[in-house]
Amino acid sequence: MNPRLLLTIGLGGVAALDAVPVGQTLLSQPLVTAVVLGALWNQPALALSVGIVLQILAASTLPVGARTPEDYALGGVVGCGVALVLFTSQPYNLARDACAFAGVVSGLVAAVAGVPFIKWQRRRNEALSRWCEEALRAGSERAPGAAHVAAVVLAFAIGVALTAIFLAAGYWLLRGTVETQTLRLGRAWSFAHPLWMGLGLAQLLNAFVQRRLVRAALFGASLVAAWAFLVIEGS
Amino acid sequence: MPGLSLVDRLRMAGRSSLLQATWNYERQQGVGWAWSLAPALERFYPDRATRLDRLAEHTAFFNTQPTLASLALGAAAMLEEQRAATGQPDAAGMTRIKNAMGSSLAAIGDRLFWFTLRPLSALIGTLLATASPWLGALALVLCYNAVHQTVRVLGISWGYRLGPAVLSPVLRGRLERMIHAGALLGVAAAGALVAALLVPGGRPSPLEFQLLLAGGLVVGLVATGRVRPSPTEWALGVAALSWAGAWLS
Repeated sequence: MNPRLLLTIGLGGVAALDAVPVGQTLLSQPLVTAVVLGALWNQPALALSVGIVLQILAASTLPVGARTPEDYALGGVVGCGVALVLFTSQPYNLARDACAFAGVVSGLVAAVAGVPFIKWQRRRNEALSRWCEEALRAGSERAPGAAHVAAVVLAFAIGVALTAIFLAAGYWLLRGTVETQTLRLGRAWSFAHPLWMGLGLAQLLNAFVQRRLVRAALFGASLVAAWAFLVIEGS
Repeated sequence: MPGLSLVDRLRMAGRSSLLQATWNYERQQGVGWAWSLAPALERFYPDRATRLDRLAEHTAFFNTQPTLASLALGAAAMLEEQRAATGQPDAAGMTRIKNAMGSSLAAIGDRLFWFTLRPLSALIGTLLATASPWLGALALVLCYNAVHQTVRVLGISWGYRLGPAVLSPVLRGRLERMIHAGALLGVAAAGALVAALLVPGGRPSPLEFQLLLAGGLVVGLVATGRVRPSPTEWALGVAALSWAGAWLS
């Protein structure tokens, strides 16, 4: 098997670990995994364009309370992975935007479809938790450590398996469409890209501004200042 | 009885990184909490039977924001030290204190880490990634972990030193100020990112892009008032509409 593909699948496992069970260091965020995958597949621009869209949408999805949020650790790796695998199988650079669109859609679908697997994993952990308590009562002091090893291995295995499945499904389902509908998919990207960015940024703005006039004014001032700076720098 | 050594506290901090590994609907962080607290229990309870009993007791339901959990862990270690020496607080008292700390820390921790620091890191990372992808990714990780890892490692010592009083009005005030500052930085970063999308490299992006970006912002702001559809469901709807639009155009 292609070693780059194997590493991509392995990254899916690592991202699944970082997202919740180990560390929560944000290494699993779509922007970070996109940069790594872009370097791995030698297509940094394509990976970044997919990663930025998924990152902005992921940032507005929060793991608070009882709600199980969409799995953007999986979505980020799958989205970039599908875009990169599709692009490397296309003969023309023209297919870049079509692959980016297919990648983001695959990433979104994987993020949503990953939720039932997170819930399943948490139900498996219930059994692990009960076993741990019984083992402790029976005198095994190492039970909590063993339970953690088992949970980490399970999370990694689920991450790897889901990444492989979604990558394969994305590639087989979308390859034909990308080949025959390159221009239409490219056009769809030109519509969807700004809409996705606007949608995600609106969620973040709402979270930060919280109907406070000073913060809204700061947003406006920052926009105008950055716009003026970029225009002056560019000229 | 010797108190917690630096090595004990570092072991607890390291283990608290896996606090969520066994998260489940029944006990939530219970097993992770017990395992993180185990180095302190080893220190304070030389008798194996008592230690096992305490460890099993700590596998009961517990949940809080995972980073600030280190403060509660340190405070629980301090209470266990007191309990080993005097017998107080008892098991019920310990549970009450743990749950009170868990709820309070979750209330402020969710706002600081999930609602402020994570989106802020994402915005700064994305903004810098438009100039240099690696710089953007590095900035995202460093911006978040500068606070996250510091609190995770030092929080054990703070909690151990102060006990349940660690969640004092002074600390709450500091965290509230961090949330406020983070929100201000966040809106500034969002403004700069919108500008970078409108005039990438100083040249205006196509009018169609600018109009659609504005449209996305307006739809997004209208959608924020509703729980359903979620942002991801909206994004999937946008994908379907864009695909249909590409066919029609």
